[in-house]
Amino acid sequence: MEETNQPNVARRATTLYGAAALVSLIGLADSIYLTVEHLSGRSVRCTITFGCSEVLSSPYATVRGIPLAAVGAIAYFIVFSLATLAAFGYKGVGKLITLIVAAMFLTTLWLFYLQAFVIGHFCQFCLLSALVATTLTVLIIAVRYQNREQ
Amino acid sequence: MKRALPFVIIAAVLGAGLLTAWYLQRSTAETPAAPPTTNASPAASTASTPTTANPAEPGAEPPQALGNANAPVTLEEFGDFECPPCGILHPVLKSLESECGPTKVRIIFREFPLVPTHEHALAAARAAEAAGLQDKFWEMHDMIYENQKAWHEAFDVRPIFEGYATKIGLDLERFRRDNSNEVVEQRIFLDGKRAHALGVKGTPTVFLNDREVPFESLAPETLKSLINSELAAHP
Repeated sequence: MEETNQPNVARRATTLYGAAALVSLIGLADSIYLTVEHLSGRSVRCTITFGCSEVLSSPYATVRGIPLAAVGAIAYFIVFSLATLAAFGYKGVGKLITLIVAAMFLTTLWLFYLQAFVIGHFCQFCLLSALVATTLTVLIIAVRYQNREQ
Repeated sequence: MKRALPFVIIAAVLGAGLLTAWYLQRSTAETPAAPPTTNASPAASTASTPTTANPAEPGAEPPQALGNANAPVTLEEFGDFECPPCGILHPVLKSLESECGPTKVRIIFREFPLVPTHEHALAAARAAEAAGLQDKFWEMHDMIYENQKAWHEAFDVRPIFEGYATKIGLDLERFRRDNSNEVVEQRIFLDGKRAHALGVKGTPTVFLNDREVPFESLAPETLKSLINSELAAHP
């Protein structure tokens, strides 16, 4: 029974990690765009939500002078790299990716709170990033669940 | 080979990411004399791709303009009175205007209030256009920009703008009426239509002789050298 189930579990984990790598690319593109917009200093206009300018020019958009979007871009790239390695069967990256994605999800919750209750405006690009981080969290939870089943 | 493949993919994504960031950064630093980029990605065009002004949407007529209509250089600014970078650009354009003179440089201001992002931007645009109906657009324009920090945080800006109207010698009753005048609304609407036709996404966006000036080039020295190049090309 175990002999037939293990390859399926491994295949499913590969698929989930592959999906995580692809999803993190969306977050990476979004973060790069936001970083460039931030560095250009231009007032950005939202097309779906209202409040890009407020959110992106707020003091919460930088951490010690570094655009938060740039930190996000680095985080998404790390997740992409680890998920790619995991999808190709590299052992030992699962725990690290779980930790990073968990940290990203908690940051996402904090940023969502700031937008909703402190700044009072939502930025569509930040919401996209929140969606990506949430999707990554769901995918990594699914992988952990798979591994537990195995 | 299979062991190396993930590293190749990671390296390729890293390269593509750095290349995209470099390209976006470069597109904001390009001079307006550069030809329009035709194959730019949507993100790149949002960042700042030089665009040629489209005469199909002329905007409000006559435009709010300073300087001679036949001046060899025309700077057309799409501005929002509440946007901080526009407030920073204001003294730059003022000094260029006085340095170059009305026969050489014409400055056009187009209304592009970022509504509802900037809650007082529309009221400010209305106040400026209402002052324009009494031929004092630029006086009000200057007042609003120079005191941006004072009214930006205010709950109700109407009394503040009425104070400016009194200071610059407007007929206050007429100014109050004109704030909701259809002509004022129409002018803001037409400038907005022009902005959308030109793909203006943010403020300030400046066109120098119908070519978009990248945001990075709006620094006083850079803008001045661009104007000098245009003046040299159109003596």
